[in-house]
Amino acid sequence: MPKLRIKVDPDLCIGAAACVTVAPETFQLDDENKAVVLDHGMEPEKRTYERVVNVTEEEKENIILSAQSCPTLAIFLYDENGFQIFPEI
Amino acid sequence: MRHVIVGGGMAGTSCAEALRILRPKDEIVLISEEQHPLYSRVLLSDYVKALIPRERLFLKKEAWYATQRIEWLPGLRAEALDAKNHFVALSDGRELPYDKLLLASGGEPKTLPDDLRGVSYLRTLDDADHLRQLLSERTKTAVAAVYGSGFIAAEYLDIFSHFHLPTTIAFRGSWFWSKVLDEPAGTWINKTLETQGIPVIPNAPFLGLQGDDEIEICETGAKNVPCSILGVGVGVKPDLSWLHEAGIETGCGTKTNEFLETNLPDIYAAGDGTEYFDLFSGTHRRAANWMNATMQGRVVAKTLAGERTPYRLVTSYASNLFGIEIIFIGDTDRRHADETILRGSVEEGGLGYLFLKRNHLVGAALLNRNTDRMPITGFIDRRIEIQRKKELKDPSYDLKNLLA
Repeated sequence: MPKLRIKVDPDLCIGAAACVTVAPETFQLDDENKAVVLDHGMEPEKRTYERVVNVTEEEKENIILSAQSCPTLAIFLYDENGFQIFPEI
Repeated sequence: MRHVIVGGGMAGTSCAEALRILRPKDEIVLISEEQHPLYSRVLLSDYVKALIPRERLFLKKEAWYATQRIEWLPGLRAEALDAKNHFVALSDGRELPYDKLLLASGGEPKTLPDDLRGVSYLRTLDDADHLRQLLSERTKTAVAAVYGSGFIAAEYLDIFSHFHLPTTIAFRGSWFWSKVLDEPAGTWINKTLETQGIPVIPNAPFLGLQGDDEIEICETGAKNVPCSILGVGVGVKPDLSWLHEAGIETGCGTKTNEFLETNLPDIYAAGDGTEYFDLFSGTHRRAANWMNATMQGRVVAKTLAGERTPYRLVTSYASNLFGIEIIFIGDTDRRHADETILRGSVEEGGLGYLFLKRNHLVGAALLNRNTDRMPITGFIDRRIEIQRKKELKDPSYDLKNLLA
C-alpha cells in the first residue's frame, strides 16, 4: 500500500469541515475547530495535524478529493518520495 | 450527451469535474457569469486584508477547463430557458441546446435601493477588488459602517477592525442572526461588539443614503450613521425570474426534490440558489455554504451520469466574531423546528440552541461550544431519536456518550 503524508495547516484551516465530510476516517475536528489527521479513524500516539498513513489507491483518491474540497486549501498531500501531490505546484 | 451547467462557482465546477470522471465522452458546457476561473469565496476577506496574494484565491487555473475538455464560457449569463425544446438563451444572443441542464448560478447579494461611491458588497472577486480599492483610498479621518447582521456583516466587521477603521454597525433586527438566536445569545454578541469599540444600532430599518457623489451618511430608522465606506450584508437572493417564466417551480430558490431534480424533466439544480428537499428536516430549504455547494455539485453529477442519487448531507458553517466561535449545523430555521433546547449559558461561556422536530435533531447553532459540533452532526446524520433530553440540556455532559 502506498504511503501518504497528510498535513493540515492549522493557520489556514477555518473549520469548514468539508474534509471531515468527504473523508471522516482521515479527518476530524478538534476542540479548536481545526481539522486533525487520523489513521483510519484512529489517533495512535497523539492528536496531530500531520501524519503518514498507509492507504489503498481508493482511499488515496478519496483523500485527494477531500483536500480539493477545502475552501482554504489547508490540506497538503505528499507521496513517499516527498513529492507534493496536492495542491498541485 | 450534452450537459449544460449554468454557473461556474463551486457547485457548477465540482459537478463538471465529477461528471468528466463519470462520463468521459460526454460534452460538458460550463457557463460562468464571472470572467475568473473558480476561486474561493471563503478566502475573499483574507485577500481584502492582504493576508494572501490574489493568485492564492484560485482553485482552478484557466488551462484546467481545456485539459478536462470542459467548454468554459466565462462572462456570459443564461437569460431564458425553453424547457420544451431543450435550450437556454445566453446573454450574447446564442441559443445553447442541452440534453441535461444543471442550474447552479448561486445567488446575488440583496442590494440597498440606493447606491453611492463607498457602498460595498462582498460576494465576488470583483467586489473584493472594489473594497480593496476603497480601503486603499481612504483618508485618515475615514469611518466605516456595516449594515446587516449575518455572516457577511461579520466579515466586514473583521475586515474593518483589521484596518483599525472606526466602525458602527446597524441592522434591522435586535441582534445578529435574529431568526436563529434569541435574546441571551443576541445580547452577548451585541455586548461583545460594544466592548470592541463598535457601536451597535439595532432595530434600524434602512431608510436611505446621503452624499453627493460619495456616501456620507447611512440613514436608518433608529439613527443616522456617518460613514465613508459602508459594507452591506443583508443576504443573498437568487435570480429566479427567468426560471419561473420557463415553468420551473421556485420558492426562495429553485425548488428540487432530494435528488436535486426540478419539476421539469432533464433540469436539475445545485448550490446556493437551490431550495432542495432536506431529508433530515423533511422540508424544503436553502443552504448557502461552501460544503453544501461542493457536495451538491458532486452528488448531482452522479444523477446526471445516470446513477440517480439522493442528496443526504448535514452541512455546517463556522465563523469567529471577536472571539465567539459560531457554528451553524443543519437546518437552523426555527420555523422548521417544533422544539428548541438550550444548552449552556452565556455565564458559563458557551451556548447552544438545538433544534428538534418530532424528537429528532435537525439543526443547531453553537456559540463557543465547538466540542458539541461532531456529536450533534452525528445525531442529525444518523436520525437518532432523542429520548433523554436531560443530557442535551446539561452543558457538562459529553454528547459523544449518547452516540456510542
